[in-house]
Amino acid sequence: MTISGNGYLKKMRGVTSTPPRVSLSEIVWSWMGAFLGISAVAYLNYVILDGSDMNLMLGSFGASAVLVYGAIKSPLAQPRNLIGGHVFSGFIGVASYKLFHPCMWMAAAIAVATALALMHITKTLHPPGGATALIAVIGGEKVHNLGFLYPIMPAGLGAIIMLVVALLVNNIPKTRKYPEFWI
Amino acid sequence: MSQGEEKDKRSLFRPEISDSDIYEAMKEIPGYLDITPGDLKEVYSHAYRHALDRIAGSLRARDLMTRTVYTIRRDTPLRDVAGILASNEISGVPVIDADMRVLGIISEKDFCSHMGDRTAKSLMEVIADCINNQCCFAMTIREKNAEDIMTTPVITVHEDATLRQITTVLAKNNINRVPVVDSQGCLVGIVSRADIVRVSF
Repeated sequence: MTISGNGYLKKMRGVTSTPPRVSLSEIVWSWMGAFLGISAVAYLNYVILDGSDMNLMLGSFGASAVLVYGAIKSPLAQPRNLIGGHVFSGFIGVASYKLFHPCMWMAAAIAVATALALMHITKTLHPPGGATALIAVIGGEKVHNLGFLYPIMPAGLGAIIMLVVALLVNNIPKTRKYPEFWI
Repeated sequence: MSQGEEKDKRSLFRPEISDSDIYEAMKEIPGYLDITPGDLKEVYSHAYRHALDRIAGSLRARDLMTRTVYTIRRDTPLRDVAGILASNEISGVPVIDADMRVLGIISEKDFCSHMGDRTAKSLMEVIADCINNQCCFAMTIREKNAEDIMTTPVITVHEDATLRQITTVLAKNNINRVPVVDSQGCLVGIVSRADIVRVSF
């Protein structure tokens, strides 16, 4: 078995084509969902909670919006994954920071890798969860001060608001339905 | 069965589906599908094989068999047997007793191997001998009865046998038909290769 032979390098050429482009109405409804979902979270964060020390917004929700409004059939975009992915990953991120923060690069790496593993174990794989875990480490003093509240709020609560918007918006057009499964 | 044969059998059952079929199917489903056409095709191929396995395991002899079976007795003269085979355009017929129990089976092969003074394996061999010797070898079996040339004991399958079990029996014994019997051993039908072709996909 050689590396240059018909195995290792050949695999890098790819074997299939990109999936078809979605229809215009799909694009419009995806846009609408993402706009309303992020609006809801951002409005609560910037207007309602303004002045309080509570926070609802997380960078990783941008990634969640792509999945739960733009790829709504994906197993990665289902409610179980959306909520579970953010809550479990948030918890892992906080724990990793608390345990390893004298060594930030280690805390960051452990957080993301362990969050990924836990999401696999719990069948809640949700890519933005990796960001949620990372933000718990690199998010600065404001995030660190939340401690183990972070996986509940903003991570869990923000995800629930996005889920409610997804349920409301994704089921309006005839051609869409959400979710594929709950449990 | 060797590994090579197993692989041949697999490729025989590969679904005839192209990359563009998959691509077009994906386009017909509204919304973004979080899977590549290649993966989807692979999933489809596996599912297709499982479906074949399931069908092969769920179709039973009683679903496949021909129920109206021409039969003969052990003392039926061979000229009548040949007549039954010829007029009904069948190539084999079970020999039964008064209780419908299968005693044996007679096929074209049995005729061939008992005609002439040597054992022929096929009809073509008999014809070739006839042409070369300018005589008819059928004379040697003219006065004989079914029991003189029938294959016995006969291989039978139970009416609960699955399609897979039947095809295995046919292939292993290199036979073209197999009588189907009930739990009492009485003839209830016959499954031929043609019956299996008929239910094939």
